Amino acid sequence: MPALAILQYELGSLWSSWLVRLWLIVAGLFALLSLAASWGQLQTAVLIGSLLFPFLVFPWFLVVILLGISPVTGSRLDALADGILSRPITRYEYLVASWAARVITVLAVFFLVITPCVLLGALAKRPVAADSVTWYGAFSAAALVSLVLTFLVSLGFLAGTLLRRPLVAAVVLIFVWYPINFVLHTFSLEEFSPISLNQALPTLLRTPWRDEPTGPDRKLSSADAEAMARQAAQFLSVLSGAPAQAPHRDSGDFFERGNYEDFSFWKVFLGYSIPTLASVALATWCFCRRDL
Amino acid sequence: MSWAICTDHLTKIYGGKVIAVNDMNLQVPVGSIYGLLGPNGAGKTTTLRLLLGLQQPTAGKAEIFGQACGVNATAVRGLIGFLPTHPTLPGHLRPVEYLELLGKVCRLPAQVRKPRLTSLLRAVGLLDATDQRIETFSTGMRTRLGIAASLLADPPLLLWDEPTAGLDPAARRFTLDLIRDLGRTRTILVATHILNDIDQICDHVGVMYEGRMIFSGPMREMKRRLLRDEFHLEVDGPAEGLPRLVEQAGRVPGVLARAGDSHTLIVAIAADASRAAALAKILELVDAAGLTLQAIQSAHNDTEHAYLQLLQEDQAHGFRRFEFPKRRGADAGPGDSAV
Repeated sequence: MPALAILQYELGSLWSSWLVRLWLIVAGLFALLSLAASWGQLQTAVLIGSLLFPFLVFPWFLVVILLGISPVTGSRLDALADGILSRPITRYEYLVASWAARVITVLAVFFLVITPCVLLGALAKRPVAADSVTWYGAFSAAALVSLVLTFLVSLGFLAGTLLRRPLVAAVVLIFVWYPINFVLHTFSLEEFSPISLNQALPTLLRTPWRDEPTGPDRKLSSADAEAMARQAAQFLSVLSGAPAQAPHRDSGDFFERGNYEDFSFWKVFLGYSIPTLASVALATWCFCRRDL
Repeated sequence: MSWAICTDHLTKIYGGKVIAVNDMNLQVPVGSIYGLLGPNGAGKTTTLRLLLGLQQPTAGKAEIFGQACGVNATAVRGLIGFLPTHPTLPGHLRPVEYLELLGKVCRLPAQVRKPRLTSLLRAVGLLDATDQRIETFSTGMRTRLGIAASLLADPPLLLWDEPTAGLDPAARRFTLDLIRDLGRTRTILVATHILNDIDQICDHVGVMYEGRMIFSGPMREMKRRLLRDEFHLEVDGPAEGLPRLVEQAGRVPGVLARAGDSHTLIVAIAADASRAAALAKILELVDAAGLTLQAIQSAHNDTEHAYLQLLQEDQAHGFRRFEFPKRRGADAGPGDSAV
């Protein structure tokens, strides 16, 4: 019962915070704008991939990290020691409940924002060629993105526990995570790079439940990659406030690198779930040994 | 005698640098109201946090009702009601929500939790503020809510850290009366540096200084050990009256007299002299000098003086404050008043 009480309390605190409410509203509006902007341009798989880009790479990555950092840092720690941890509850129970509340909140925002946009993009009649997105692919992609978001929450959780000060933890994570991200991407370690994962999503979305002879439409075509590159450029121009650039054929290098035929769902799954578990375990171990 | 709290050579050193609690042996009898006294930085709050398992001792151990304290000692924390100094509470919650949360954390079933939290809110006078968020509460209201929170699980031991800090006189009076009432059925440890509070409510006292317990025992024992046969006589009258009175009082056998300020005569009576006879003689002299006696005060019950003298004695002991473990183990047992 204590862990459940903490879970309810943390969920209530998170949903009453301006950060989560603002994130939900802005992410929802942003996803709708992205959908509208690429309505007649992108095939369904690529469209979904472009909708997931803000969650996997930038900017919602930052919000997810910030939410993960907060449970045992700064002034919150005083209130925690005074009010909760001086009661008959173990630190382990508190941390797991607190982590679970953050994961639930992040995933709730993600699905609330993405589900309507994906359904609209997939089911509505759009002036683009038909795509072969499968249910298995859709569920796999949702599971993987959820796992990446859980991993990011856990990483923030670990950094917050180790570094204690939320601002320091956030800065360290940003300065460590982005270079690592690009290194992983450069060496084509898709399992560990959200950027590569984002590029591989169209392939995954077209993957059927059982292996069939691979057709040309199940690979990430160069047309797809080019379209995604255009979409990413448009997205960044919206962020910077600059006028959208006209698409040109030579700008798709970033997305053309990947041919994700060898993409393995289980490799990626393990690649994220093991560090997630390790982060939570290490954070718990550190917190249980700390003086409050 | 059974102990509610018993520590054995409890030591806490932060980062291998700062000694917060220094080889402390604390014994709090069951059913007592124990005042943990000490100046700021003496280690009182650290001691409470060690008992609660919020911090881990560098050496030594602590027990609550015979159960070992520690980070994972949830059963021990279930026996304790903790009130921190200026409690930091979740501002976005309302009092009922906060107590409801704590009740669930303390594993209280709903049929016990709900009536208890409402009666506690009534008892601490917060029934009118149940619709307000805690962030709007004054210091006194926060302390009262903290008191309600510490009593929610009906624990047999209360650890209250500076419960009267920052309170107005009415709230302070309320808190002290409450401690006195609660002390009839519970063991209470009150950590404070406000001597007057200790004087009013505590039957046992421990004095901490620089992380070390320099005295622990019944309140009357502390005062007896520091007995000072000294009296302050406040007089009023002609300006030349007091110096003459000082001179005459000094001639009384067994009496040392001096002027405190322009209206106070301080007389110290020798241990072998009769205090009643000496005082009677001095009062006669006051009358004869044409002075009016305004007040007479005995230093005997001056807790502040006793406390300060304890600190001075401890400082004066120098290296003698160090006790070899073997010798202490052989000579002293738990509950010895002089530490």
